[in-house]
Amino acid sequence: MAGIVIEHLKYRYPGSNKLALDDITFSVNQGEFIGIIGRNESGKSSLCQAIAGLIPNFYKGAYGGKVLIDELEVKKVEVDELCQKVGIIFQNPFNQVTGSKLTVYEEISFGLENMGIPKEEMTQRIDEAMELLDISKYKDRYPFDLSGGQMQRMAIASIIAMKPEVIILDEPTSQLDPQGREEVFQAVQKLSKQGITIIMVEHNMEKIAAYSDRIVLLEDGKLIAIDTPQVIFSREDLIEYGVEAPIYTQISRKLGLKDKRTGCYPVTLKEIKPLLETEGGDR
Amino acid sequence: MKSISLYVDKGTLLNRIAPESKIMYIITAITVPALLGNRLAGAGFIVLSVLLLLSGKVLRKTIPLLSVSGFVLLTVLIIQGMFRAGNTVPLFSIGPVIFYREGTSFAMSIVINVINILLSFCVLILTTKPSDMIENFIRRGFSPRFGYVFISVFQIIPQMTETMSTIADAQRSRGMETEGNLWVRIKAFIPLISPVIMSSLINTKERALALEVRGFNSKHKKTFLNDERKTSADPYLQIILLIGILATIGWRVFVWLA
Amino acid sequence: MKSKLWSFKFNTVTLVLIPAAIGINYLGKLFAGVLKLPLWLDSIGTVLAAVLAGPIVGAICGAANNIIYGLTMDPISTVYALTNLGIGIVAGILAYKGFMKNIKGAIITALVVGLVAVVISTPLNIILWEGTTGNVWGDALYAWAIAHNLPVWLSSFLDELVVDLPDKIAVVVIVFLICKGLPKSLISLYQRDEKIENLD
Repeated sequence: MAGIVIEHLKYRYPGSNKLALDDITFSVNQGEFIGIIGRNESGKSSLCQAIAGLIPNFYKGAYGGKVLIDELEVKKVEVDELCQKVGIIFQNPFNQVTGSKLTVYEEISFGLENMGIPKEEMTQRIDEAMELLDISKYKDRYPFDLSGGQMQRMAIASIIAMKPEVIILDEPTSQLDPQGREEVFQAVQKLSKQGITIIMVEHNMEKIAAYSDRIVLLEDGKLIAIDTPQVIFSREDLIEYGVEAPIYTQISRKLGLKDKRTGCYPVTLKEIKPLLETEGGDR
Repeated sequence: MKSISLYVDKGTLLNRIAPESKIMYIITAITVPALLGNRLAGAGFIVLSVLLLLSGKVLRKTIPLLSVSGFVLLTVLIIQGMFRAGNTVPLFSIGPVIFYREGTSFAMSIVINVINILLSFCVLILTTKPSDMIENFIRRGFSPRFGYVFISVFQIIPQMTETMSTIADAQRSRGMETEGNLWVRIKAFIPLISPVIMSSLINTKERALALEVRGFNSKHKKTFLNDERKTSADPYLQIILLIGILATIGWRVFVWLA
Repeated sequence: MKSKLWSFKFNTVTLVLIPAAIGINYLGKLFAGVLKLPLWLDSIGTVLAAVLAGPIVGAICGAANNIIYGLTMDPISTVYALTNLGIGIVAGILAYKGFMKNIKGAIITALVVGLVAVVISTPLNIILWEGTTGNVWGDALYAWAIAHNLPVWLSSFLDELVVDLPDKIAVVVIVFLICKGLPKSLISLYQRDEKIENLD
């Protein structure tokens, strides 16, 4: 099953003289949830697209190093083949609607038709995907009539139906209203319980801290650190990388509450609760 | 608006017939009268098209399409009727203006020809779902990538039109003048079209990415969620139309050789 | 690296550009109508696509534009697909040769594109309507020419010239101004023969 291995990945976009990705090396185990954080233009989207194979095959440009998905080298495989293993969701829900289908149901079939999946299996996969993303009730709606959150869930369903082993979500909630964001986060949580490898770029640190097994911190195209959320968010130099820790961590830092075992600050509500109670008890 | 296509599903026989048959009909309706060089043939096909459109319950929808060309046809009638070289015999007059027989008769040929073309196209476009037609082509080997391009135009244009009003309002609220003398209006054009073009190009890039990761360039043979649009009558219809065209060509060649 | 002029390889971005170009054509016409300008401005997308992605793509955008209009609004437009196809090819060739890089070249391109449009449309006008265009000013000129015993082809040519040349000149100049403001990252997407450079 899909483990991801990235070795000395370097990349420069055509017409640019700066490296967008600068010697990145790390691995992901199958089923892991990896969060990617860093300031704007730090290389988060480029890293996502490099794992999905869009870099270099879509953009061309200058490429070095290796990305291996399940031992398949991404540079040597065309996107239309790789997309069966790696799926990616982008920020703007409107631009992920193909514009060639009149109902949500047909829209989700787009990738399956391209893959040559037989009709009976298609309907089964579409039903399952809609069920998982809770959009079955919209199956006959016109895709462009959906709300942002519904459209984004339809995009995720379209990718899930292709049964990839890795799903990448590049700021999936940035362009949504609060309700839409909630809908997508719930969907992501459900996905994470399915055992698929997930890679997500997000600005909502509380969510990233709660979902991720490990977090990648990027700056200027370079990998600064990869570790558990507790270790990453306990770093004193986060602000220098344009990142703010989750609210729970910020509170804990102010109150001086550390987890005695790990030496790190808590990063989620669940982690901070027992520490607050103890604190309250001590007083 | 979902799609700029004029198709509506009325559940009629015409809806169920294969798109290829209707395309053959258009070719027949245009080439046979042209080869025969006879106005009556053109008029005959007009009558046939009207009957087909009636059976398809879409005759009324031809009116907006006809009126677009109707204006131009009127100008043709006026200009040819009044000014064509060789106009000698007056036909009728409206006040001081004289319409001649030769010019008016010539204009009528044009009118019949154009209306024939229009109505035969209507038989196809008012009763056929664009994606059904394209899917049939793809089944027979047409490139699925180009098939996508064709279908997406119908939906992407209404989407772009909707964003236009947002952009126009935003620019007006920034104090851009859109009314006034000609120079003011000319100056307003580029600030209106520029953001539209910029955002279209960005959307184009993002949509291309989304398509690629959905296997757009896959070399697999494509499968289809929907069934093929055809009836058992289609092969016969297409053969009859083909025979009609070939017979007319044959007659034409015969006359030309004689 | 510059792509070949007559390349038939279409990458995905180039294909998705086609509906966008048709949409831009449509919006150009809409804005011209809203602002009540005496021009059509309905081929901005076609010329833009030709400048960005070459003559073949320009030709496809031009032809597809009219075919779609023909299928949804005005079947007679289909015939004029030939004109827009010509505009796409010529604009693409001139852009490839660097004519759209400065304002002087852009004006030359504008004149050539305009003339090509007129030269192609005139015989089409003659076949369909014996030479008129449906435009008040152009047809008045036609009527005057015919009344003065000028041959049909010349009268029709003058009709179309008066109606179409100013419009095409405006379109090409507008595309020039817009291209000046486009970021390089967007323009490079349409270069087809790029290879992946090795950084190892």
